[in-house]
Amino acid sequence: MPRQVLEDTLTADSIAADSALAASGDATAFERLYRTHVARVHTLVRRMLDADEADDVTQDVFIRAWQKLSTFRGESAFGTWLHRLAVNVVLARRKTVGIERGRFINEAEPLDGLKSKPVTPELSMDFEEALASLPEGARQVFVLHDVEGYRHEEIARMLGVVPGTSKSQLHHARMALRRHLER
Amino acid sequence: MNDQWTTRLSEYIDGELDRTEQAALEAHLATCGQCYAALADLREVVARAKSLEDREPAKDLWAGIRAGLTPARAADRPAVRPSGRRLSFSVPQLLAASIALVLLSGGGVWLALPQRSTGQAEEQRPRPRIDPIGWTQSTDVAIAELQVALDQNEKRLDTATVRIVRKNLAVIDRAISEARMALRNDPGNAYLNLHLANTMRRKVELLRRVNDMAAAQS
Repeated sequence: MPRQVLEDTLTADSIAADSALAASGDATAFERLYRTHVARVHTLVRRMLDADEADDVTQDVFIRAWQKLSTFRGESAFGTWLHRLAVNVVLARRKTVGIERGRFINEAEPLDGLKSKPVTPELSMDFEEALASLPEGARQVFVLHDVEGYRHEEIARMLGVVPGTSKSQLHHARMALRRHLER
Repeated sequence: MNDQWTTRLSEYIDGELDRTEQAALEAHLATCGQCYAALADLREVVARAKSLEDREPAKDLWAGIRAGLTPARAADRPAVRPSGRRLSFSVPQLLAASIALVLLSGGGVWLALPQRSTGQAEEQRPRPRIDPIGWTQSTDVAIAELQVALDQNEKRLDTATVRIVRKNLAVIDRAISEARMALRNDPGNAYLNLHLANTMRRKVELLRRVNDMAAAQS
């Protein structure tokens, strides 16, 4: 067996074992799961929400994961289950704080929001910064579709919009971001 | 730039236009430099999105998470019903359970093995601590499920096979019992943990094989 395949297999085995241990109440196993997955969860949260919320929401994701571990049946990989849980927590947060207000109505907003930013090569923004400057609705559709690989139908269900709105938001987000490509 | 095709460029990239629309857009691209350039840029945006890398948070968040963890509640964990349960296991369910348990046991072995240090940052992390009580509890629950399934299924096997299986299970159970007794006196002993994990894995594999055999007889 190639070394990388062997290491991947052992890692998957270790995560499967740790998820079972954590489900039985082993906080040490859960800490190992945290250390394996925190970068992915924190990055997702940071991109979907504001950076200053990322730490709190990431902690919330892991605490909820601990509480819900008894419902994790192992049909999917633990990382996939955790990722979906993180998306749900982010979207619930979005509803709670009411930042979705009007984001999916004004389709021109993402373009307008970035028009005044410089686009000269020397001043081009870091791609992550440009992404962070998008309005919430466009940013979340872009992250879910282009970064995380969800389909428009899934995104529409999650956000409570029609697929056409998700497609439109995605296009506007891409058009806004193209102005900030490093050339 | 705002012609009728501009807003369709993303759908074109994502393969969501029908053939007629796709052909019409490609014809337009041959004559519209602005749309052609925009298409190239949008493709680069998509490629950039796929290449973004994850970053660790600036500070370790574990302490806050650990403080928010409530103790595991026994009521939340699936309980094994001792008797009288009407089983509805399918063969795929039994196989899935068995495979998961093999992984679990393998994971236990993996945790018991010495971990390779990868530098100072790694050394600063808390060392994985073996918790035989925790992982064997969840393994015991699932083994009990498989054992109950076997009790239901063994009538499909001939008596000689059942006798051999019972004899082997008794040997394995005795080894598990002895390993557990030894671990009570020396819970941190890596060899004993490894031995217990291997023995429980053997039991899982035996149960799996026998259930497979019984299912094949139906």
